[in-house]
Amino acid sequence: MASLTLDKVRKAFGPVEVLKEINLAIDDGEFLVLVGPSGCGKSTLLNLIAGLETSTDGEIRIGDRVINDVHPKDRNIAMVFQSYALYPNMTVRKNITFGLEIRGVSNQERDKAVADVAKLLQIEPLLDRKPSQLSGGQRQRVAMGRALVRDPDIFLFDEPLSNLDAKLRVDMRTEIKKLHQRLGSTIVYVTHDQIEAMTLASRIAVMKDGILQQFDTPQNIYERPNNMFVAGFIGSPSMNFINATLSEDNGKLAVTIPRGGDPIVLPLFEAPESYHGYVGKDVVFGIRPEALTHKRTGSDEPGSQYVNFDSKVEVIEPTGADTMTVIEIAGKEIVARVRPDRAPTPGESMTFSADMSQISLFDPDTELRI
Amino acid sequence: MADIQTYSHDAGWKHTVLRGLLYLVLILFAAYYLFPLIVMISTSLKSLDEIREGSLISLPRVVTFDAWNYAWNEACVGVECTGIKIYFWNSVKMAIPAVLISTFLGAINGYALTKWRFKGANIVFALLLFGCFIPFQVVLLPMSQVLGKLGLASSTPGLVLVHVVYGLCFTTLFFRNYYVSIPDELVKAATIDGAGFFTIFWRIILPISTPIIVVSVIWQFTQIWNDFLFGASFASGANAPMTVALNNIVNTTTGVKQYNVDMAAALLTGLPTLLVYVLAGKYFVRGLTAGSVKG
Repeated sequence: MASLTLDKVRKAFGPVEVLKEINLAIDDGEFLVLVGPSGCGKSTLLNLIAGLETSTDGEIRIGDRVINDVHPKDRNIAMVFQSYALYPNMTVRKNITFGLEIRGVSNQERDKAVADVAKLLQIEPLLDRKPSQLSGGQRQRVAMGRALVRDPDIFLFDEPLSNLDAKLRVDMRTEIKKLHQRLGSTIVYVTHDQIEAMTLASRIAVMKDGILQQFDTPQNIYERPNNMFVAGFIGSPSMNFINATLSEDNGKLAVTIPRGGDPIVLPLFEAPESYHGYVGKDVVFGIRPEALTHKRTGSDEPGSQYVNFDSKVEVIEPTGADTMTVIEIAGKEIVARVRPDRAPTPGESMTFSADMSQISLFDPDTELRI
Repeated sequence: MADIQTYSHDAGWKHTVLRGLLYLVLILFAAYYLFPLIVMISTSLKSLDEIREGSLISLPRVVTFDAWNYAWNEACVGVECTGIKIYFWNSVKMAIPAVLISTFLGAINGYALTKWRFKGANIVFALLLFGCFIPFQVVLLPMSQVLGKLGLASSTPGLVLVHVVYGLCFTTLFFRNYYVSIPDELVKAATIDGAGFFTIFWRIILPISTPIIVVSVIWQFTQIWNDFLFGASFASGANAPMTVALNNIVNTTTGVKQYNVDMAAALLTGLPTLLVYVLAGKYFVRGLTAGSVKG
């Protein structure tokens, strides 16, 4: 097990730059998730760490060792692939021990290692089968076994769950998390699924177009996204963005949302220093659906973090636990998360509470957080 | 209910008629193709007298294997009357090494071209592909010069070399198209596991290549065994392959024309390829589509 550092890592294929100066550092035992839409360069980054591709520039270190020019087999890493990449001609046992065999590990040690891993992953009855005789979930386990048996410094996962059905994916997610907690190993995990990223990571790196957008803990990324892309990508349903202006009234800042008739004025609960430069200017007001609910008790008291406003309801989408309520403000559809027993009927007008302690403001031009 | 029954009965009747027509056509085509073979077999089993008396299509009254025996052991090829057997072994000695070597090299080429892509891999592949379209006749003269310089002129090893070089384009094409459909992640996983170029080839790629190996072997064996031009050009006399010997037997203009011996010799020549198709034919079709559709 070891820490991992990426220092100004760049990768270009000819004139096309797919990774632009990536700086990342994780400690021993951390679970790093690289997340982003397809084509953002996350898999390329993983391949650079694995040594399957070479970086154009920059330095990659495992522990204190610079590994840029080290062959993949000497990096002491193990990788789990999206397609599992099990060797079809070998039994599960052979699949798991192939790497050990190549490294000249003795027969006895191999048997012991495969027995340990099989027990850990509960694949003992499958050891003498061929991959074609296994279900998707079982193949996934074998692929993980192949990585585990080597006891590497760093585990690399390349979208390991995306070929599984929804139910199995959730189960395997929990298992991977359990495994990480038990082994305390360093893991780099690539996914395009933001829920996987949130649930698994100790730190998340959000990427887009080869640029690292934000690198932080899941909670920080969720609550304080660096820019509108991160804000919209993380969280489901995604954050509402509303064009508004920042106004000042008696020394108190408020977000003013224009709409036909009276504008909605939402006084801010906290006003960091950085907001003051934007008084009187346009901003993008970002609020997550769960911060926008039915009327809360205590929301009428002065100094409350909740601010009430009325709006007509367009559509409701019950999910069981919550009812997603779509309202229209300033020509944009806004989703509010309402308790089912407080859910309105479409067409009805209703009072909503906005939790002003959980909002984000963005610059409409740079799309960066203010 | 009654309507439905009538309808299904009607459809069943139509179905039977169409099926019958289909089989009739298929049988006609099969007969068309089988007829020459039947004539050859029946003629080869007749005595020369019977051939002279009877008609071409009549079945033999007395079945005799004399013609086969004569063709194998005694028939005159040119001035040597040693039968076709030494030429049969010439062909075996030429075809088996040539098939194995060209298939093996094709496999390595295909593997390198798809899984270890290097700069210019596409150009190399395009050039190899181009090789498939070069007619035999074009390479005759330069090839004979090369063989002469290598000291392999008029020898079986020389013929092996010619067939390997010429067959390489085809086998590479087969294997490349097959390996394109094998996920690269397999090679990546093995690389991380610590396996190198040849270990991955032997331990992982080759064991899953059976269908395309069968295709390549059948294709190459048929091509090489049936080849006449290279055999006639680069190997003469006692080193000639079977096809050349057959031609010499059939085209001998001296003496009486021994049709039964000609037919037996021709059947002996065609037997190995026929056997290969019978034994591995279904893999051939399967492997050919697997390679081409996914490629």
